Amino acid sequence: MGRLAAGDVDAAAELYDRHAARVFALARRILRNDSDAEDVVQEVFSQVWRSARRYETARGTVAGWMLVIARTRAIDRLRARRITPDAVADAPLDTIPGNTIAPSDQVVSDEQAARVRHALAVLPDEQRVALELAYFEGLTQSEIADRLATPLGTVKTRIRTALSTLRGSLAR
Amino acid sequence: MSADRHEQVAAMLGEYALGHLSPGERREVDAHVSECAACTAELREFTALMDVMAHTPEPVAPPPALRRQVLDRFVADRGGVAARRTDDPRTWAWAAAAVLVIGVGATMYVAADRRADAALRATIADLERRLEDYAGQTDLAVSILTASDMQPVPMEGLDRAAASAARAYFSRTRGLLIVADRLPTPPPGRVYQVWIIGEGASPSSAGLLGAPGTGRGILIATPPAGLAAGTVTVAVTDEPPGGLPAPSGAMHLRGSV
Repeated sequence: MGRLAAGDVDAAAELYDRHAARVFALARRILRNDSDAEDVVQEVFSQVWRSARRYETARGTVAGWMLVIARTRAIDRLRARRITPDAVADAPLDTIPGNTIAPSDQVVSDEQAARVRHALAVLPDEQRVALELAYFEGLTQSEIADRLATPLGTVKTRIRTALSTLRGSLAR
Repeated sequence: MSADRHEQVAAMLGEYALGHLSPGERREVDAHVSECAACTAELREFTALMDVMAHTPEPVAPPPALRRQVLDRFVADRGGVAARRTDDPRTWAWAAAAVLVIGVGATMYVAADRRADAALRATIADLERRLEDYAGQTDLAVSILTASDMQPVPMEGLDRAAASAARAYFSRTRGLLIVADRLPTPPPGRVYQVWIIGEGASPSSAGLLGAPGTGRGILIATPPAGLAAGTVTVAVTDEPPGGLPAPSGAMHLRGSV
């Protein structure tokens, strides 16, 4: 990040080559649209370029930070697409689940990612769908209950169970 | 701490990490986690899981044209040489913007006489740097204010600062935003410095409260590394110019969450 702050374009290219595919994949998973996902990649890297000087040390891993920005931006777009402007204005900021997630200091290894990817894939469908709506679409539990026409309590249980299972897969 | 309470909170930790709890529930979890090592560890695992979840979509290489656009933007933002040649219209827009900036700079360059030139360039560089800092600060302030773990810190003015009004907003994950008004002028040769103090920890400096002497101050700072769970105190003291690594002067504002 130090070279980046100094304006080193090779450092910028290196950073892009190392992380763009993950940022793009996440944005694409959330938005399910390549062109919107490309816009998110642009936004994420613009923010990194602007902030390189400021966040050198305080931000955990760069990858984690970029993915947090990517997820927040992509979910914001999704919400803007989904709800009327009035509803967006009325929605308390807290209801955007992305806002809780700050990158931890841990570097996420490919192996961890693969383990959780697998654990997610083998979850019972109803648990996976509920969790994915929460994580990738930023829906609140009541929104998920509406979307799936399922009681709120059931949604809550499914998400809790899914998260516990995935946490187990991470710790293994 | 009751066992029931522990069970109840432990069951909510995943939803906490996911951002699904109401502010009331979050406070409940915060209060318990701050005194429960098992829940602290478990919450850390759930938070780590959220990071890993972002890595679960299989990486997909974006189109090559995007790489050029992103890097051209880096060059344009840097205020350096003009953007590279490419056929993408958006890149052309950036190139045009870069050319405009350079054009304005060149005009000013020509207009200035030789002696004024260096000063002018320094001023432009300074303005650019401040603009960039400002953009970074704004991003950080917004991320603090919208963080779901953000808590307003009730700030109390002490002694001479009793009449001052200060507001502070703290997020463990994003940082601190503090705005003070009607602050007394700091003692001669002193400046106001802001501290973030974790429970049982020594204060870490968040930085100086800007614009001393105007009675107003604002500071936006990232959170200190390794902040312990539990109560966090925000304090403002007066210190020598430039500040100190640990507080030495009188305390003027204080608040805890």
